[in-house]
Amino acid sequence: MTLDLVIQQLVNGLIVGSFYALIALGYSMVFGVIKLLNFAHGDIYMSGAFVGLIVFSFVGVWVGNGWLGVVCALLVSMLAVGLLGVVIERFAYRPMRNAPRLSILITALGASMVLNGSALALTGGRHFAFNTDLGFAGLDVSAVHITYTQIVLVAASILLMAGMQAFVSRTMYGKAMRAVSIDMGASRLMGIDVDRVIALTFFMGSALAAGGGVMAGAYYGSVHFFMGFIMGLKAFTAAVIGGIGSVPGAMLGGLLLGLLEAYGSSLPFVGSEWRDVFVFGALILFLVFKPTGLLGRSVVERV
Amino acid sequence: MVVSFKRLACATALAGLAMTTATAAAEIKIGIVAPMTGQLASEGQDMENAVKMAIDAANAKGGVNGDKISTTTADDACDPQQAVTAGSKLVSEGVTAIVGGYCSGAVLPTLKIYGDAGVPFVIIGANSTKLVAANQGNAFLANSTGDMQATTAVDLFKKNGYKKIAVIDEGDAYSSDLAKLTAEAFKNAGGEIAAKETTTAGEQDYSAVVTKVKSSGADAVFWTAYHAGGALLTKQLRQAGFQGGIVLGDGNNSPEYLEIAGSAGEGVFLLSPPTVDLLSGAADFKAKYKEAYGRDAGAYAALSHDVGDLIVDAIARAKSADQKAIIEALKASDFKGLAGEIKFTDKNTLQTSNFRPVIAKGGKWVADE
Repeated sequence: MTLDLVIQQLVNGLIVGSFYALIALGYSMVFGVIKLLNFAHGDIYMSGAFVGLIVFSFVGVWVGNGWLGVVCALLVSMLAVGLLGVVIERFAYRPMRNAPRLSILITALGASMVLNGSALALTGGRHFAFNTDLGFAGLDVSAVHITYTQIVLVAASILLMAGMQAFVSRTMYGKAMRAVSIDMGASRLMGIDVDRVIALTFFMGSALAAGGGVMAGAYYGSVHFFMGFIMGLKAFTAAVIGGIGSVPGAMLGGLLLGLLEAYGSSLPFVGSEWRDVFVFGALILFLVFKPTGLLGRSVVERV
Repeated sequence: MVVSFKRLACATALAGLAMTTATAAAEIKIGIVAPMTGQLASEGQDMENAVKMAIDAANAKGGVNGDKISTTTADDACDPQQAVTAGSKLVSEGVTAIVGGYCSGAVLPTLKIYGDAGVPFVIIGANSTKLVAANQGNAFLANSTGDMQATTAVDLFKKNGYKKIAVIDEGDAYSSDLAKLTAEAFKNAGGEIAAKETTTAGEQDYSAVVTKVKSSGADAVFWTAYHAGGALLTKQLRQAGFQGGIVLGDGNNSPEYLEIAGSAGEGVFLLSPPTVDLLSGAADFKAKYKEAYGRDAGAYAALSHDVGDLIVDAIARAKSADQKAIIEALKASDFKGLAGEIKFTDKNTLQTSNFRPVIAKGGKWVADE
């Protein structure tokens, strides 16, 4: 590998890794609080991209297809899809909260299919163009061209994740979230409104996924109903690698996974068809040898 | 007296039952198998609509051999497992003939089911050469096969002076088959394969592959899979500053490709199946399709419509709904439709290739002169 190739793959890995990290964060937060693997999370990401596209095409008429339009789309979509997450929690997961773990897992799969199927029915399976006008200007590092869009994208996702980390570790609601995650019953006895804390967790996780969806849609220029599937799987992998339930773990897992993909597929004699083998191979290795992930703490199984 | 009355009632009921089954059996039912859900649902919808349009037109003229034709659709989701379920469902429903099939990977395992049942099957989109080998004699490929496309591709590379090609597929039966055939044909023609890469369907980020292609020094990229990935790949190749040629396989012929690729798509070559926009006699069909279904006719709509007409034509020539007779009639097809001539070889593939190279200019596909 030449130096240029190393730098180029670093950039590639960081970009795709920050998407993984954003989605993984929602997975991790929800798992941390109610011990549910929210399989609908990839579809939340997809819904976010669609809401973003709709908002973008409306506001684009006034503000053009530049940064302002993308930011509007990002904010509206995060709010709307955050609420969608709360609605899903309220109607699909809350009635199942005391049911066996397997039942709620299957409910999550069902929620995923409802979102995916509705998107298919509404869009007819079409791929929609998300045509932004963000320009190609940027920095040249050696022979590698890094656009400002790419820099802003990575910076924005790091900012969102840092904000989330600050919220969880510094605020009263964050403290309540951590309390619920440790012991739901005791939290209730301490006067914490558990339902509200869980709803808030879903709101924030879904808003982050929606943010990721809008950014991915705008960056890659295409939105379709199936886009959440692979992203959901990879984000789940990232969450496991980082330590599911841990906020900094999700970020670390996402970025590491992105880099693993980029460098793994550029090894000599290894074709790009091996990329997913690295990703899901890593998932299996972690699940077998270090199920708590890099930064996770062991969770006491409550049966 | 009472007893005999009961007997009479019984007999009447039985006779009535026999009559209803007899009329049901006389009706001709055509099975349509296509991806109605999943990534390629849009193409499947087009196939179903266009075949139905042809059947409805035949019914309006009084059906075939005096019988009305009905259709039933089974969703294969372009997934081999679901395709087997869909195929078994159609066979157990007792369809007279089956048309459809978009993804070769999903069609392949169903060939045995249809073959064992002896159902005539006209494949509309799927065109992997593996299908030819697995055919039990009852299946017909109405689209040109992959090796015909590989030849067209190599001709195009030579014409444009490309010497080092990067071939990229999506790892499914169809696109990897086309990639392999083209790579072999190009090597035999004295060309060099700079890189052979595979991506994952449904993925949005192709940066790792793009970086490899750029550093391989290829002067053109040949993408053999479908339009969703093709548009993203094109965009990301151009954004990364790749200056060489981009050539796309026939799975990319969709208006969505041009919408998503935008200005990056300009000057890209496509090996096109016979689509409505490139066919002189299809303007009327295009308008009717839009009116009937409220959407533009996609890449395979014209060919699907032809296959609908072809099966009606074959049943008429067979003069019965007997499946063996229909298969014989299909073998002897000499059909001229919107998309061109359909005549089969002794392997039930098309005699003449229906691929034609086109180029993207001003946001539209135009014939490459």
